[in-house]
Amino acid sequence: MTLQPAGALPADLCTFDAQGASVELRVDAALYPLTALYGAAYVFIDRAFVLLGREDATHWRATLAWKRGTPPEGALRELAGEFMNELLSCAWRAGISEESRSILEAVTAQAFAGAMGPPALDDLDNFDFSEDALDDPLGIAMSWEEKYGKAKSADAKGDVPRDPTKDAEPRPETPQATKPEGS
Amino acid sequence: MIELRFCREIYRGRSVDEAIKVFAPHADMVRSEGPEHWVVQVSAATPERERRVAGELGNYALGLTVKSGGAPGKEDGPG
Amino acid sequence: MSLLPVDRPSTSFAMPFKHREVSGRVLITNLVGDFLLLSPDDFAAFARGDVARDTALYRSLAERHFIRADADTRQIADRLRARKAFLNHGPNLHIVVVTLRCNETCVYCHASRADMNATHTDMTPEIADQTVKTIFATTSPSVTIEFQGGEPLVNFPLVKHIIEAARETNKAAGKRLEFTLVTNLSLMDEEKLAYLVANRVQVCTSIDGPERLHDRQRKLPGLSAYGSAARWIRRINDAYAQMGLDPTLYHVEALLTTTREALPLWKEIVDTYVALGCRALFLRPVDPFGFADRTGQIVEYPRSEYLTFYGNALDYLLDLNKKGVEILERYAAIFLTKILAGEDPNFLDIRSPCGAAIGQVAYNHDGKVFTCDEGRMLHEMGDSSFLIGDVATTGYRDLMGHETVRALAIASNLDGQPDCVNCTYQPYCGTCPVHSHRTQGSIFGRMRESSLCAVHKGIQDLLFTKLGGDDAEVIDILRKWTTVRDRTHFQQGVVK
Repeated sequence: MTLQPAGALPADLCTFDAQGASVELRVDAALYPLTALYGAAYVFIDRAFVLLGREDATHWRATLAWKRGTPPEGALRELAGEFMNELLSCAWRAGISEESRSILEAVTAQAFAGAMGPPALDDLDNFDFSEDALDDPLGIAMSWEEKYGKAKSADAKGDVPRDPTKDAEPRPETPQATKPEGS
Repeated sequence: MIELRFCREIYRGRSVDEAIKVFAPHADMVRSEGPEHWVVQVSAATPERERRVAGELGNYALGLTVKSGGAPGKEDGPG
Repeated sequence: MSLLPVDRPSTSFAMPFKHREVSGRVLITNLVGDFLLLSPDDFAAFARGDVARDTALYRSLAERHFIRADADTRQIADRLRARKAFLNHGPNLHIVVVTLRCNETCVYCHASRADMNATHTDMTPEIADQTVKTIFATTSPSVTIEFQGGEPLVNFPLVKHIIEAARETNKAAGKRLEFTLVTNLSLMDEEKLAYLVANRVQVCTSIDGPERLHDRQRKLPGLSAYGSAARWIRRINDAYAQMGLDPTLYHVEALLTTTREALPLWKEIVDTYVALGCRALFLRPVDPFGFADRTGQIVEYPRSEYLTFYGNALDYLLDLNKKGVEILERYAAIFLTKILAGEDPNFLDIRSPCGAAIGQVAYNHDGKVFTCDEGRMLHEMGDSSFLIGDVATTGYRDLMGHETVRALAIASNLDGQPDCVNCTYQPYCGTCPVHSHRTQGSIFGRMRESSLCAVHKGIQDLLFTKLGGDDAEVIDILRKWTTVRDRTHFQQGVVK
């Protein structure tokens, strides 16, 4: 094992380019998912030019370039070290978010339910009621005629023929006529 | 001339295109595609300006990609 | 992190817990904030699951829900729900910046002050009316309107306008209403005092320490800023006493911003507060907002030095309390309320999630609305990341539902924060995503490098060292610091 000078970052993970005022980092994709790479990279775009890439099948590459002029002594090393710390933080946070998803969602939902409260009449004025209806498996939104009227032929104008080979369920726009229970 | 190679696995194509539009007034840009990258060649009056425009374009594309939720699983194609 | 190695830990004996070495003992905490300080041997036995049922240790652990076999999950859920009760309602604290004009220049100024002739930075009555309307849309049953600036007494007519508009609006809203004025007191006079006293407005001011320190950090042209503040503190306290109000409860509140120059003066600072009749002081470290950033080289310091200052001050305060001088430290009181009383005092900067927008809102002089006062200060520094709307055009629910507010609620939830998820102090703690944004470039931050985390951990280490010590008198004093006596005189309106 070749000993690195004190304070040096691992040479197989970190390559400095003095002329280009940049540092290239080799990031293990198994340890650091792409979401973590995004998270860390985004934090640095005010301080450096950040370019992400694929190094090989198992590694990402992150290149951080000093924005202007010549970086002061040690600045690139500091940039690289901070980036790696942020990357670790992002990777760990991604894992925690998955593990703690239920409590995070419960707390957040309660926080916003508590803060926002129910909509007032003024808020309902701005509500968009034009969205498509939700799925209606019990046919609650159907009119009586739609639910209990005679079945129409597939050639009737306005009907979209149902292709049993494609649709697992009837399309919501054309509810199937069903006989009422007990009839 | 500086050549930026945006990995399709990481960058969203539309984000790269949007970044090109934003920075086009500041440098000449030539866009092309490779099997794994979108490629943008940046040329400007001075090397310093080229470096700056290329760097800011890259950051902008990254920012838009992150804001859009990352690169799509399938190719979203150029804008 | 002070983790201890454990041989053959049990995976079935204990409920989830966290641990930390504190002054030679092992502190354990659980999800709802129960705690025990154990000897290393007792901790090892607990971690191995090797504690006999008929022992005092077992009983202590069981009473505090540390043992899985005896854990009452319903009770745990109820307590957790109670600890998070602040989530049931929206913002109760509404900070209204009535002007940026200020007659003092403070070295660490938060407020991004404007000169006294900058009248364009005064809030207008029209914006004030829209602000009041937004305030009373809150779902919180209580509202505290806190007047800030600049120096709010510079725009006193508007302060009165808002008080009167708020009272009028509250006739229908029926909230528990309070007013607080944060002022340097230098522009106070008898007429203003009479109005504030008659209208039950709490007064809060800054005292940085002894006169020479205070005046060096807070420049009031031609006058002593300290002299002015001290004079009016005494005058206002007298006014309360003359009204028959209990002086131990009703008095001017003061706080300081601890600068580098203040660090060796912990004794003089405490003595100054005691001499002014203060019952509490808040030993806040300097923060990275406002002018403090520009003058960081003058005022900033490593947080280890702050914690030495804090520890010295805390010891001195406890000694004074032993001698019958009743004065508490606010940071300690906040943490101790969570630790000992199992309650959350809803201090918005130390809770999970933090109070950004959902607990407090800041309204700038021009009607712009921010998630918090720190967010507003960043805006004055050129960073508008925490701007969420305008009183003229943004409805209350749109403010609360803003994507920035959602992001901050998630970012400040310690259940999702690296380091915090494993931290023994998680049940009692909180983080500030605006602070993280400012100092580390993201609202999530990295707690291991956070100066705020260092302060919180350090203070709690000190408190638990005291709680685990053998000085019963100190523990009794710390317990008393958790007692919150409602200042009902300042509460107005009727809660529906």
